[in-house]
Amino acid sequence: MPIFFAKRLFQALIAIFGVMTLIFFLQRLAGDPVLLLVPMDASQADIDRMRIALGFDRPVVVQYLEYIGNLLLFDFGRSYVQNIPVAELIRTRLPYTLMLAGGALVVAFGIGIPIGITLAIRRGKPIARVLSGLVLAGQSMPTFWSAILMIMVFGVWLGWAPPSGARQISSIVMPSIALGLLSMATFARVARTAVLDELEKDYVRTGHAKGLPMRRIIFRHLLRNASIPVVTVSALEIANLLAGAVIVETVFAWPGLGQLTIQAITARDFMVVQGVVLLGAITAIGLNLIADLLYSLIDPRIRMGAGS
Amino acid sequence: MPGLRRITSVLLLAATLGSATFLGGTASAKDLFVVDLVNEPSSLDPQKQWNPDSYYVYRNVFDNLITRNDDGKIAPQIATSWDYKSPSEVVFKLRSDVKFHDGEKLTAEDVAFSVTRIIDPAFKSPQISQFNKIKSAAVTGENEVTITTDGPYPVLLAQLVKLSIVPKHAVEKAGDDAFNAAPVGSGPYKFDRWDRGSLVALARNADYWGDKGPFEKVEFRAVPDAATRLADLQAGNADLIVTLDSDQAKQLESSASAKVLSALTERIAYLKLNPTLPPLDNAKVRQAVAMAIDKQGIVEGLLGGFDKPASQMANDTYFGYVPDIKNVAFDPEAAKKIVEETGAGKTKLSFATSPVFDQRIVQALAQMLSDVGFTVEIQLTDMAAYLKRAQSEPAQQANLAFGRWSCACQDVDGVLFPLLHSSSSWSSLRDPKIDALLVQARNTLDDKERQQAYNGVAKFVADDVPMVPLYEAAVLYGGAKNLQWQPTANESMFLNRMSWND
Repeated sequence: MPIFFAKRLFQALIAIFGVMTLIFFLQRLAGDPVLLLVPMDASQADIDRMRIALGFDRPVVVQYLEYIGNLLLFDFGRSYVQNIPVAELIRTRLPYTLMLAGGALVVAFGIGIPIGITLAIRRGKPIARVLSGLVLAGQSMPTFWSAILMIMVFGVWLGWAPPSGARQISSIVMPSIALGLLSMATFARVARTAVLDELEKDYVRTGHAKGLPMRRIIFRHLLRNASIPVVTVSALEIANLLAGAVIVETVFAWPGLGQLTIQAITARDFMVVQGVVLLGAITAIGLNLIADLLYSLIDPRIRMGAGS
Repeated sequence: MPGLRRITSVLLLAATLGSATFLGGTASAKDLFVVDLVNEPSSLDPQKQWNPDSYYVYRNVFDNLITRNDDGKIAPQIATSWDYKSPSEVVFKLRSDVKFHDGEKLTAEDVAFSVTRIIDPAFKSPQISQFNKIKSAAVTGENEVTITTDGPYPVLLAQLVKLSIVPKHAVEKAGDDAFNAAPVGSGPYKFDRWDRGSLVALARNADYWGDKGPFEKVEFRAVPDAATRLADLQAGNADLIVTLDSDQAKQLESSASAKVLSALTERIAYLKLNPTLPPLDNAKVRQAVAMAIDKQGIVEGLLGGFDKPASQMANDTYFGYVPDIKNVAFDPEAAKKIVEETGAGKTKLSFATSPVFDQRIVQALAQMLSDVGFTVEIQLTDMAAYLKRAQSEPAQQANLAFGRWSCACQDVDGVLFPLLHSSSSWSSLRDPKIDALLVQARNTLDDKERQQAYNGVAKFVADDVPMVPLYEAAVLYGGAKNLQWQPTANESMFLNRMSWND
């Protein structure tokens, strides 16, 4: 187990390092942010001075080595635009992204799973038709559109929730639904398939034969077995929710990392982009690592297989 | 797995911190005035960063040395009067009754410090190019500061409108970073708090020496999506929103609770031609480009009539504007003839643009040029790449480029010099006569002589067509019905020039 873990950790570190290197050089392919920082009428001498002050006159490799050196000291650099440390920027934005992802997960899980189970058990019934329409809608509505629609209906016409921002607790409701809709559909479909698979199994027939009520078969026996694929999908969906917040955060003016990323990319605020990407890579790779470990705890065969 | 546990605890801590800032709550009625900006300010230190989202906010926290009144004229603020001691030395007399928000008096020391700070290359202000003709600022008496420039500099006052006065004691004590995070000024509003990514809150300065602000508290929020800003205004979640396009403005015109507030700005939209590359090296072909463009059609058909066709690279709020200038008239038939005669349609013309510009305009321009026989290829890149190309060697620049220019100084020097003087990286023109006129106008304080030089440049632009001035761009805000406010050409948002009718 420790060797397996160390191996996996080593692989994860290499992957993170690779992502970091890639984003560093990719960004610099297209030039630097100096022209975006100076006023339009700046002279060439002023532009050059700014470039030297920010260190963009040096070879990219030198800049890269400096960045890596600073990273080893947990220094993520400073934002060129906002003039504050990147770590500070991310620290203030991260809680909002976590809250939004959490809210979306509640929506996705809380609505998606019951719908999935109902779809499987009531297959072919009218209620299943209605619910599968809902799932289809969740899956096919683009977020930017459903978000604006919600803002118009619930924010402007009905006035139930503030159209945007993060000033009140109720502000989180609409963005959570907008972000959670797609995951809701995914959960519903996975749960439906899993439950359908299990319904065919022998133990369900045995339960029927024993005279157990359907409710008891489902909640005591079937759901436990059907939960394995759902757990697998959850790990992926959490990573998706964290990353997918970019559009939702922009539309709802939600001050999370997604919005910060967009701003940083358009302003070529390299250090901020690098910081956010690094965090994203660590999260995604970390979640995978956790999932791997969970599998091997649940099923020892997976652990042995990983050695090859 | 101690690492995992640590990550979990960090995440939990972060979530707790988040929910703490989350429960901010709201005040009621018009004690709280909410402005939706596009992004949060990049900086609240007025000498660090200079973009609308930043200065909309910090111009209310700080006083400037001088300002422009609602008519666009340069007016006293911290300085009460000024005199030229010599062509390169200006003596400013200062108010003696101004206090910073921390109670300290604003002195001549603070003014000299503010100038010295922004012109220090080590401070790395992106604004340095606006002030780099200033050599020094010195206290020369009680409430008196003398600014020395590198030779006569006619645009000095127009540039100083943008110089905010920061408190020497506070900046030196806190350091640049801490001062940016919690700025102390002397303006009509005090800094209250900054929720990163979300909003900046200001509170009314009850002891302000000039016109006091009408609202107890003001929040500037970051709302990147224009449709969301509009929804905020319609739902009463915001009282003033920035950066509407003409379609959204039309939508507001029928609203019962909100209205459009607009003003012509000093931004001039233009189509730049590259006279170093064929076929645009022929003045006749450049005139054909000008003939092909229906400015009136663009302004009325696409921009909703808020903007105004431009006759030159300035409008009447600028120094150096030429009131009655003759332009190449809209005449597609004549243009077609020239394109045919010269064979200019055979060469593919690259047309540089960036997503920050209104793409409908760019496409309309390309269409108008195609209609008279030109072959145009639109090349869309991100803003940084666009800027880089626009400022490269003339031969590397695109044949055509769309742009919107403002020097935020309301003096044509800030437009014509960078776009036309051969020393400027933006210019693809190499004309000694024009260079001489631009330099002459820049190095004298004699308004008449300057105007004469600019008459010459304006005539050259109209006849020789190094660029086609398109329209004076309007700025469109959405405001609540009860808000009384007249936006100005320099795109400032002074809260103490607003009022509220219940």
